[in-house]
Amino acid sequence: MIRDSQDVIVKTLARLLMPFIIVYALYVVMHGHHSPGGGFQGGVILAAGFVLLGISYGLGETRKRMSEKVAGVISSIGVFIYAGIGALCLILGGNYLDYGKLSKVLRVTPAQARSLGILGVEIGVALAVMAVMFTIFFVIFTVGESLEDDRSGK
Amino acid sequence: MEVTLLLEATENAFRIMEKARVHALGVLDTAVQFTGEQTRFLEEKRWELLFAGAQRRKTRFQNFVGTTLILFAFWILLSGQFDAFHLTLGAVCCTVAAYLFHDLLFANVRVGDMRVIAARFIAYIPWLIQQIVLSNLHVASVVLRPKMPIDPQIVTFKTKLETDISSVTLANSITLTPGTITMDIKDGVYYVHALDQKVADDLNAGEMEDRVAHIFMEADHLYVQDVLDAARIYDVLRA
Repeated sequence: MIRDSQDVIVKTLARLLMPFIIVYALYVVMHGHHSPGGGFQGGVILAAGFVLLGISYGLGETRKRMSEKVAGVISSIGVFIYAGIGALCLILGGNYLDYGKLSKVLRVTPAQARSLGILGVEIGVALAVMAVMFTIFFVIFTVGESLEDDRSGK
Repeated sequence: MEVTLLLEATENAFRIMEKARVHALGVLDTAVQFTGEQTRFLEEKRWELLFAGAQRRKTRFQNFVGTTLILFAFWILLSGQFDAFHLTLGAVCCTVAAYLFHDLLFANVRVGDMRVIAARFIAYIPWLIQQIVLSNLHVASVVLRPKMPIDPQIVTFKTKLETDISSVTLANSITLTPGTITMDIKDGVYYVHALDQKVADDLNAGEMEDRVAHIFMEADHLYVQDVLDAARIYDVLRA
């Protein structure tokens, strides 16, 4: 269990950097289809932001912003977005993740539909990766906590 | 005889009843007054709470807008694409991030001070760069001398800075300056590693701390800048 850090430098800088980390991660996700980066990288940076918050302000403060339950829901939503876009292409008569077919739904040219489709898939991937990384972090760092609870329960 | 006694008794009884009535009226009056005060007090408290809530909501909204604007500037710096699609994406992302983290960026900042602090902070940077260059030269001269006259030591001093942001600014300024590294801050006491005696003396002189305190307006004595301003005034007076 990580408790509130006593180090004022780490805490203050984590507090100041946190919004910028999130916006940088979102930038990496949103520009993934025409510059380096993408869903996986952006998702990991997002999760790293939350991990920074967790190790500087303690898990209790982090739980107020995102709990394990919310992380589970978000990971499912991410996978759903990814699989849903793929399946939509399948329904529209193309192959799985054949974004060109989305042009009928989005009313744009197939080239633009490809761009938008991969953007949607990347958002889904980023959400899933962020939530799963966050869950892994939480599970690893709360192992001792449940043991302590068991011991105090006895 | 009996009649006069009876009359007296009734008179007494009436007097007692009158007294009791006055008493009861007094008690009632006090009660009414008290409840009145109570309701007024409650009313005031309710207004106060409402006002505080409005104030808090206003502060939160200001923080939200400020965070959004700063983050959007950061997004434009990163993105460098000015078509409507990317700007909209950026606006959405920044709004979401600011909604989630609006309480982080401006925590512990007194409202209304921001512009002064920003201006003073920008004015502080050239001085800091000058200090960095000077101590760079000093450290280079120390380590390049064949005898290498270093005298490593840990300097501790109690700071007068109050807020976390000013403590962090001072700690990072000390670390940025070659020859000194902030190792820890505990309960307002700095533990700084210094390379030799001159660097430690510079640190103990406390000019950097004064300047950082000046940025964040934690003024409790005359600062260098104030003394300079005062000197100019004295010159005018003397002339």
